[in-house]
Amino acid sequence: MKSALKWDVIAKCGTTKARAAVLTLPHGPVNAPVFMPVGTQGTLKGITPEQIEGLGCQIMLNNTYHLGLRPGQELLDTCGGAHVFQGWNRNLLTDSGGFQMVSLLKLAEITEKGVQFESPHDGSLMLLTPEHSMSLQNSIGADIMMQLDDVVSSLTTGPRVEEAMWRSIRWLDRCIKAHKKPESQNLFAIIQGGLDPAMRKQCIEEMVKRDTPGYAIGGLSGGEEKDKFWRVVSQCTDLMPREKPIYCMGVGYAEDLVVCVALGVDMFDCVFPTRTARFGNALTATGTLSLRQAKYKDDFRPIEEGCDCIACKSYTRAYLYTIVTKETVGCHLISIHNTAYQLRLMRQVRESIIEDRFPQFIHKFFKDLFVEKSAYPEWAVNALKSVNVDLIQGEEQP
Amino acid sequence: MTSPLRFQIKQTSTKASGARESARCGTFTLSQSTTAGTDQQHVKRTIETPGCLMYSQKGAVPHLTPDNLRQQSFGGVNISLEQILQTDQPGSFSKWPETSPIPRFKGYKFTLSEYLRLQDLITFCDLRDYSYAAETFRHPTVPPAKKLASNTDYHAVLSTPKGIRQLTLDDYLKTVRHYRPDVVVALADTIAETTTPNEKRIRKSLERSLKWLDQILLERVGQDGTIADRRLEEEKKRRRERKEKKRNTVTAAKTAGEGQQDQEQDQGTEIPKEMDEEIYIEPIPTEPWTDVGLFAAVGGAHLEESRIWSAQETAKKEGVDGFVIDTLSLSALGKDARLKHVQTSLDHLPSDKPRLLYGLHAPEDVLEAVAMGIDLFDTSYPFQLTEDGKASLYYYGPRPAGQDKSNSKTLRSINLWDDEHGDKFVPILEGCGCYACKDNKHTRAYINHLLKTHEMLATVLLMGHNMYQYSQFFTLVRESIQDGTLQEKSTAFLATFGKEPVRTLEKHPNQIIVEAALQKRNQRLEGAEEGVVGAIDMGASTVNTPSLGAAVGVSAEDVEMEDANKSKKRHETEEAGEDGGAKDEVVEKKVKKTAAAESSSPL
Repeated sequence: MKSALKWDVIAKCGTTKARAAVLTLPHGPVNAPVFMPVGTQGTLKGITPEQIEGLGCQIMLNNTYHLGLRPGQELLDTCGGAHVFQGWNRNLLTDSGGFQMVSLLKLAEITEKGVQFESPHDGSLMLLTPEHSMSLQNSIGADIMMQLDDVVSSLTTGPRVEEAMWRSIRWLDRCIKAHKKPESQNLFAIIQGGLDPAMRKQCIEEMVKRDTPGYAIGGLSGGEEKDKFWRVVSQCTDLMPREKPIYCMGVGYAEDLVVCVALGVDMFDCVFPTRTARFGNALTATGTLSLRQAKYKDDFRPIEEGCDCIACKSYTRAYLYTIVTKETVGCHLISIHNTAYQLRLMRQVRESIIEDRFPQFIHKFFKDLFVEKSAYPEWAVNALKSVNVDLIQGEEQP
Repeated sequence: MTSPLRFQIKQTSTKASGARESARCGTFTLSQSTTAGTDQQHVKRTIETPGCLMYSQKGAVPHLTPDNLRQQSFGGVNISLEQILQTDQPGSFSKWPETSPIPRFKGYKFTLSEYLRLQDLITFCDLRDYSYAAETFRHPTVPPAKKLASNTDYHAVLSTPKGIRQLTLDDYLKTVRHYRPDVVVALADTIAETTTPNEKRIRKSLERSLKWLDQILLERVGQDGTIADRRLEEEKKRRRERKEKKRNTVTAAKTAGEGQQDQEQDQGTEIPKEMDEEIYIEPIPTEPWTDVGLFAAVGGAHLEESRIWSAQETAKKEGVDGFVIDTLSLSALGKDARLKHVQTSLDHLPSDKPRLLYGLHAPEDVLEAVAMGIDLFDTSYPFQLTEDGKASLYYYGPRPAGQDKSNSKTLRSINLWDDEHGDKFVPILEGCGCYACKDNKHTRAYINHLLKTHEMLATVLLMGHNMYQYSQFFTLVRESIQDGTLQEKSTAFLATFGKEPVRTLEKHPNQIIVEAALQKRNQRLEGAEEGVVGAIDMGASTVNTPSLGAAVGVSAEDVEMEDANKSKKRHETEEAGEDGGAKDEVVEKKVKKTAAAESSSPL
């Protein structure tokens, strides 16, 4: 299949499966591993495009289903796509609307044809077929588009999972056929198969035959046990083509990012940092600060020492305590900080891979965040052990 | 005493024949651009007058982060004590650091400027949020201007986000000493009652305000301004003690069996000699704060004599750097009546000191006030427009080039909620240099979309635009004073744009629809919560379910993500961080309750 991207691996970790790369897309280069903030409705929560660029963000997400509702396909066609619409000149990635199948399950009816949604806003019906999803995504004009997949919750068991896996493959074929702009938009396939290794293997084999520009690991981050989650991720990265980017959808929390990079994942997205910001929660390398709490009333330190975002360069926790969740500015500041935090984390991860000291970075990261080894999440310890990093016995090398 | 403020009048406009024009252009600066107590200097902006201070809430200009804020060209910020003084302050000021904890400002004294990151802007600290002074304007989370508890001889009443606070002179002084704003307004008894005040009330307010002003002026130069108060307190205390003593003696006598007659006699004859003694109170030398500028409030409500008296008496006081002309007490009157009373005050104030006016801030009102000689305003007008989803299109003087297409109907503003903007891929105003309009970056269609999807970027863009347009307006007004075209352009402005429609608090129909849908979605979600959570039983994991709806910035998309999160669990909680996820949930639920409570009453 035609590809509108270039994937150049510039360094490989000598210990884990991690790699550092440059993903060149129509709207510019993206340093990988990369965390993509989520601007669902064509905006990143009160942050201007200039501010997002200023944070070093090279790619962000928009949501096809939501943009399809508002402003709608016609308007997007008129103005020339989502980049122009929101004044964002760097890269965009759109998911197909598939995830809404899980999140809006009560409102969705799934058949071989597609998914019928009842809009949560006005009850109107939208039939999302692979063809319609492609059409919408072509109108949105994102640099990376996701196939419409039949997503089931990772907690689902039984024949439904296999049904969804095969249907996703069939829908991938329909998507490829319906995709009108392969020269400027990259279609990614999404590997399904639930938590079943055999199914995952089968899905990968089939989808790889379709030779899309990149692949995503889908159907996870739905509340499944973390121990199962990492094993699926690791199996996938073993079997997926390594000369293409690998995207794990819906991940996530800081420790998830670090572990998945070690397992060989290149791209991530998650609403968590911007969403938790709006409730006054600031992410730092040593944990989350819930700035609404009265204990910050007299804490005159910046959110995080060494952070160069506008919040940390300007204000103390004490002042932020008075405005988070009360003034929109409070919201913006924490959103900016959390996005800065995630992007900085990935930058640091990438640098450490390039300098071949990623394992040391991992040790330090976990120590800063969890402090005591007894607090290290077991799944993370196991996952890292599988790629030769022993968090418990191994030592941080100087 | 030399003032830390410098106000230089560059030019007064030439009076057209018969016109009572005293408009003037000036510059308002700090005479020394230093932050108190250090050798380090911040270069402070100058405010060109007529000009504005930026309206703020809780110490921040609404919707503008520090970087976006500095794209505006206003030189100062108006901060109200009632918005920013915490319940445990001034007491808890002892917990403030001496110098800034922010690394790049190491060594700078940690005053209000540093705390709010306004070091390059003139910080003007007033008591109350006077956006009330405008007709129906108020911030949605602040209760309507109902009758507060009255000011008394001992304190002025503030309406804080946490409720009513009675601010004493003592607390006021401690706060000023600690905050060290560039300018502070003297504690005053500003009449905020909704009923028309009577003469007695007005006289009382002026007496109190002038007394406090005298005390503040003494304290400012390091003398003891509260000595008379303390003497009075001491007298009262002794009187109380004497009464107590007498009561005890009488009671003792009673129990000893003496008759009531004798008691009365005792009470009558025993006039203590101490009452005639002069009580000596040790004067307390105080720390001067001459580095802080002082403005005085000039009032008198609607009584001409009172207004004249207030202005004259206040004008006599040495050390006052400028005046705030009260209009809050005139809220019941129409604009023309209010302007008349403002004029009365101005007629009796020295012309070499700056005058600030709240509440008359629509462009045509500004023009009238400027013509009378007002120098400073605030930016509650652009904020007000932004909250309503409106964007300014008015211009002053000749129509700027390139704007014909944007504004062929010479509208003073457009409402971006209106459906007609939904497909207009043009900036709010062609040729406007604000960051929303510049290079046609953000379109009317996009802002309409942002409003409809309840996204916060809408107000960020609108605020940037409206503030920018307001500052452009003031720049052109200043130019017209200098070249003598103020009157003619003011007349033309009124003819072209008419008067600002009276602001109601009614929401735009589209806004009502969006918010109703959001509400319905919230309810639908909450109803389903038990069912969904019950279906997914994974033991000890925590579910991250932040509260919805009332928290700032929650959009429809957030609400939808809730469904996803119900099945999303974190088996590793945030235990390594400051909180467990469960605690988050509890706190977040509280946030929702608090936010809901805030909208109906003060916390």
